[in-house]
Amino acid sequence: MSTQGWAERLPVLGRRATRRRRRRRGFDRPRFLRAFFWIFMFFTFAPLAIVALFSFNSTPSLQQFDGFSLQWYDEFLSSATLRESLMASVEIGLVTMVVGTVLGTTLAFALVRARSRVAQASNLVMLIPLVTPEIVAGASALVLFAQIGIELSLATIMIAEITFSISFVTVIVRARLSALNREVEEAALDLGATRMQTIRLIVLPALWPAILAAGLLIFALSFDDFVIAFFTTGESPTPLPVQIYSSIRFGVRPTINAIGTSMLLISFLILAVAVLLPRLLGRREEENVLIGRDAA
Amino acid sequence: MSPNGAKQNGEAIRFEGVTKRFGDTTAVDDLNLTIRSGEFFSLLGPSGCGKTTTLRMVAGFEQPTEGSVHLAGEPVEDVPPYRRNVNTVFQSYALFEHLDVEGNVAFGLKRRKVDKDEIRSRVAEALELVQLTGREHSKPAQLSGGQMQRVALARALVNQPSVLLLDEPLGALDLKLRKQMQVELKEIQREVGITFLYVTHDQEEALAMSDRIAVMDQGVVQQSGPPEEIYETPQKTFVAGFIGVSNLLPATVEDGGIRLATGQLVHATVPTDCPAGTSVHCSVRPEKIILEDLEDGMVSLEGEIVERIYLGTTTQVILELGPNLRVISLEQNTDRSRADDRWEIGERIKVGWRPEHALVLR
Repeated sequence: MSTQGWAERLPVLGRRATRRRRRRRGFDRPRFLRAFFWIFMFFTFAPLAIVALFSFNSTPSLQQFDGFSLQWYDEFLSSATLRESLMASVEIGLVTMVVGTVLGTTLAFALVRARSRVAQASNLVMLIPLVTPEIVAGASALVLFAQIGIELSLATIMIAEITFSISFVTVIVRARLSALNREVEEAALDLGATRMQTIRLIVLPALWPAILAAGLLIFALSFDDFVIAFFTTGESPTPLPVQIYSSIRFGVRPTINAIGTSMLLISFLILAVAVLLPRLLGRREEENVLIGRDAA
Repeated sequence: MSPNGAKQNGEAIRFEGVTKRFGDTTAVDDLNLTIRSGEFFSLLGPSGCGKTTTLRMVAGFEQPTEGSVHLAGEPVEDVPPYRRNVNTVFQSYALFEHLDVEGNVAFGLKRRKVDKDEIRSRVAEALELVQLTGREHSKPAQLSGGQMQRVALARALVNQPSVLLLDEPLGALDLKLRKQMQVELKEIQREVGITFLYVTHDQEEALAMSDRIAVMDQGVVQQSGPPEEIYETPQKTFVAGFIGVSNLLPATVEDGGIRLATGQLVHATVPTDCPAGTSVHCSVRPEKIILEDLEDGMVSLEGEIVERIYLGTTTQVILELGPNLRVISLEQNTDRSRADDRWEIGERIKVGWRPEHALVLR
């Protein structure tokens, strides 16, 4: 083999070697991150997978899977108490989502748009529910309801959950709202839109992804909330998490697996609706905002 | 297109003693101004001079603290922005990001419940006017700065307002595009015949496009008139300094002329309200300063060349007449192959100007 032949091959070899090295370990992707990722995935999903699996177990065992059966779902759904509790939780989640989103969004408008001292102070006051321990929020709500003599019921849970949720909505919507260019609204007014039309046609479409995300978040938070619900719940129906907690005191039944799996399914369904809704409406960019692919 | 409601050669906008205060600061101070319909009128001034506030009072986004704004002869204090027959082109374009080009341009017509077919044809017409035919279904995010600017313009023009308000619309464009858009804007204005009220801090832009200019400073109109008048005969030191480059030489009024800080008595026309002994400025445009080739009757001084800057079509020569007294001269490079080799730095040469080119300003 001639020297010239080697000279021709060398760069090729060099290039190939570089390519292989780059693929194996890019300096921005250390190998241990991969391990972290799988550890995270394991600890997040393994318990869920086990609960889901054992919800279909044919025996009451929580250690050994003995065969497929729907008996625990049957037990869950045939119990009037549990069914009522599930409905109560869904109701709490939906009412909190709707009322909390509306109130939180209007509060965000007031905080961003009002130039008064009160608004500036409210910006800080509004953060208090976010940092208040939930147990304090729950206990203080209970004390308040007792003081003014309101009988505990589903409504009291909703009031407490909505109070707690407004801040989340306001924080999320406010961020988006303050990033809006005021000139865009002025342009709408300038082009003949009234103030209400400007909000409906220009501002809300721009805020829509943030409002949707905030609504989903507070649904998820209030639907399966235990602490606040525990303090503010009435006799019956009790929300599902509270119901589960009280039933555990008499021994863990595999029905809990079925309940847990059902609740998980409801949460996933809501998430799927949120991701799919913009796509069905033909507005892909909003879906991107929701799942964090908002590049622009 | 023909402007709605604007009487031909009538008045489009009139400011009557308009003052606008924000807290302790006075943004606009006793403004009295009439803008004729069909006119391309510019408000020119440095940032914070009150020009944008003036524009916003016409649009209806701000209310005058005192005085009143009249549109087509009618006072408009009680008319909200969405009922005024004016449209605005914003500095940030302010396009509706979630609507496409067509949706943006049609927005105003839809609010006024214009017939669908008419909307379609008028939008197409407006897009043709700004040369954006074919981009109807692009979203603003997919457009370049110049194209967004055109959409903003079409969106306003399509409503055929009696007055179009433009708030530094070319500010965000690069120099070349800006020059091109200046010409286009002027052409469009001539074509549609709508009154343009144009706000800018760029004196060259104002000179190039306007029928009339009002130079503003600290909330007050310092001078208004056609570009030639503003440029050739500024009435105030601020105007002379703000429009173009000007040599402002400190001087004192004496019998028969003014005495420059160098000690020479120079022939000049002194305004009647300047008695002898008044401190004034003598303003001479750089292109009116003549070096060496002085003729009879010209003011004749001597100066030392301190800098020569070759600018392509012209060469800027900076001369020192005395301590802290410099003049700038612009020499055309038409006759010479290179103007910068005519004189050496440090050389003493004759400097002069025609007496009629010197303006005495208080």
